[in-house]
Amino acid sequence: MSSSLSQNTSRPELLARKRRLRRRQAFTRTLIGIELALVLVPLGIIVLWALTNAWPWPNLLPQDLSLRGVEQVFSGRQNMGASMLLLSIGIALACAVITTAVAALACRALCLYRWHGRNAFQFAALLPFIIPSTVFAMGVQVVFLQVGLARTVPGVILAHCIVALPYAMIIMTDITSAAGTQREEAAKTLGAGPLQMIWHITIPQLLPGIISSLSMCYIMSFSQYFLTLLVGGGKVQTFVLVLFPYLSGGDRTIACAYSTVFLLITFAVFFIFELLLRRFGVREEESLYG
Amino acid sequence: MQLTLEHIDLTLKGKKILDDVGFEVADGQFVSILGESGAGKSTTLKIIAGILPQDSGRVLFDGVCVDDIPTHKRNTATVFQDIRLFLHMDVQQNIAFPLKMRKASRAERTETTDRMLDAVQLKGMGNRRPSELSGGQQQRVALARALAAHPRALLLDEPFSGLDEQLRAEMRQLVSQLHQEFSMTSLMVTHDPDEALVMSDRIIHMNDGCVIQHGTPAELLLHPASPLVRAAFNDSSSIEGTVAQGQFTSGKLTVPAPEIPDGSAVLVRVPDREPFVHPLS
Amino acid sequence: MALLSRKTKRKAAPYLMVLPALLLLAVFIYGVGSGIIQSFGIMTYLDRTEFTLEYYEQALTRTDLMDSVMFSLYFSLVSSVLAAIGGVALSFLMTQARSSRFIRLLGIQVPITTMHAVVALAVICLFTGAGLFPRLLHILGIAPDATWFPSVVGAPSGWGIIVVYLWKEIPFVAFTTLTIMRNISTSYGEAASTLGANGWRTFFEITLPLCRGAILRAFLVVFAFAFGSYEIPFLLEPTSPKALPVLAYIEFQDPDIINRCYAMALNGIMAGICTVLCVIYYVVLQREKKQIR
Repeated sequence: MSSSLSQNTSRPELLARKRRLRRRQAFTRTLIGIELALVLVPLGIIVLWALTNAWPWPNLLPQDLSLRGVEQVFSGRQNMGASMLLLSIGIALACAVITTAVAALACRALCLYRWHGRNAFQFAALLPFIIPSTVFAMGVQVVFLQVGLARTVPGVILAHCIVALPYAMIIMTDITSAAGTQREEAAKTLGAGPLQMIWHITIPQLLPGIISSLSMCYIMSFSQYFLTLLVGGGKVQTFVLVLFPYLSGGDRTIACAYSTVFLLITFAVFFIFELLLRRFGVREEESLYG
Repeated sequence: MQLTLEHIDLTLKGKKILDDVGFEVADGQFVSILGESGAGKSTTLKIIAGILPQDSGRVLFDGVCVDDIPTHKRNTATVFQDIRLFLHMDVQQNIAFPLKMRKASRAERTETTDRMLDAVQLKGMGNRRPSELSGGQQQRVALARALAAHPRALLLDEPFSGLDEQLRAEMRQLVSQLHQEFSMTSLMVTHDPDEALVMSDRIIHMNDGCVIQHGTPAELLLHPASPLVRAAFNDSSSIEGTVAQGQFTSGKLTVPAPEIPDGSAVLVRVPDREPFVHPLS
Repeated sequence: MALLSRKTKRKAAPYLMVLPALLLLAVFIYGVGSGIIQSFGIMTYLDRTEFTLEYYEQALTRTDLMDSVMFSLYFSLVSSVLAAIGGVALSFLMTQARSSRFIRLLGIQVPITTMHAVVALAVICLFTGAGLFPRLLHILGIAPDATWFPSVVGAPSGWGIIVVYLWKEIPFVAFTTLTIMRNISTSYGEAASTLGANGWRTFFEITLPLCRGAILRAFLVVFAFAFGSYEIPFLLEPTSPKALPVLAYIEFQDPDIINRCYAMALNGIMAGICTVLCVIYYVVLQREKKQIR
């Protein structure tokens, strides 16, 4: 009797507090909803416009849907079509793999060893972050011309790796220092050779970082316009290089079609890496309550 | 302050965390919640502090329901296991933080900070950064910070578990002493049976989100209400104390010790046996 | 002897490991450096070897160049300051709402993944004279025709540039501060509230100061990017003044090869401003490090 009574009297205060909490939650959720709309609506408009033949003033909705734009993207005129796409993807993949490997090694030296020049290197590694890539692009063009790297695919990959390096290093630094050497030492005492140790311990430990870094570098390389333009000199035609002139051009449908294909490819790559991350990555801590 | 919990239930993500938890802590008492990890001890503290709202049941301070009061107005300063000193403030600023939140004057802040530093035996360390202190010193600052809030109840969430054995003993003594000095209702979560036995006026044993037994240390030790409680004290251990007039005493723990001569003695716990007192000659 | 060889191996290991990164950085520094050398009038491939500050002098006195510097500084500062504020707010909201991974994916990762130029296209679709936003105004009876709304392309205030950067960089700032903010608000935030701090005070006295390093770093990256990139101003800027990188590229492409020296001087100015900011950041960070760890 008394227990049911006290439970009833508990209601008003507890409910009032919970109502307040819920109201606050609803408020923050609404704001986040607005943010999501601001992100997704512009992208939606691009996709919609890509599927429109013409969208004249003052229609707020497209009237004349067609696949004209998308067809043009994949039509095999000169540099366009599948081969150009493959080249772009190849360059981006190469950049992602090389940069991630280089960054992983450098971060290992930075986080786990003491050596002369460590601080200077750490500072230098951030330079591509700070000095704009346009400055680098215009400066390096002459140098690459002199050594024969300009207008070549390896030259473009090299340039992309350089600007992607600081991003990869920032991603790899945290995870490398968190992983430490304890488990590797344990593996060594249990008889693992250097290669076995790297394969069975080091790489699995760093895998979440490696995957994020691959994803980041891939996307950076794939969307690099100015640097590719200067180093590739118009000879190395990547997807962005073909896309870019359409952006300021007259035919909105074709510009949007190129952009849509571009968005689809980047999101697909991002999604694949995200799946890999979920498959191999550390589970996120869900235990907010002790 | 008298602290009362009535029929607290809590389910998080489909898992029942607390099941009809109810107990009372009398004004000025020191009470320990003892139990395995995952028993719902820390969650209980969070509900008292208002960090988590319960699903049903209520929390009363001096008989007044506080369920509608948000954490920062409940005035239940908490000492956390992971210490949580604010890294961007020095020791003084950390201790003065609760006073600043209550808009205390600068003079009052300095005065209280000095007094608290004194109380936790860290005089003259006010300008240090938390990172310059040892683990034990950091936990003392956290204690001073909590006390500076003049809390209605002091909540301690496994405050010593990050420290080594030597420091733990010192800290236990300091906490017990400060509890008496400030005569403040205190509730400590621990999984260390010795700690609970020696420091507490009463012990609450929790398991799987339920209160199993609530009584004096001697009651839980000598008359466990269930095999679970017995199991909690079922490891080998000895507590040093003194015997006088047939009573063994160590800290707040008092158990009968007939036929043992007055003087120092140890209380010995051995698995599968009644605890017994052994004289130290 | 065997021990000695193991010791030297261990000593050499870190140098070998940074070697590839060092090579990449060397190319970067060599590239930037060779550009800077040209800005002093030294072009070895044209047999010009005389050091001169003439091009810098001109760059800093020619009014159109100075206007470009100010214009670039203006839109990158405005967009990076707003992005820092907005990013912290977004990160705070997501922390408060305990947003799920999917929401974070949509609200943060999607904009980070999207290329800048595509965002510019979306802004063009929305805000040119005949864009979708003026059409909405037209339907609401505000805009009479397709010329009433001032087009975002070429707007003298550069607001389109700022909008594109905000769309991209608010999520970027949120991305770099979200994890640390989440950790802080659960541990230190709880501690502060049991000590009597309400939500706002906890945010301003505890969360914000502890995130300061991360916010500052994000701000700097965002600023340097907006200040030094070509695509967005090229697509959206007014005919004059032009953003520094665009102007530099125009001079760079000039058939008169001597004009490259102007381009490089402009690049030198850009690099200089960014480096100064970087040094400030480094000093702040070192001071912070001393405080916290």
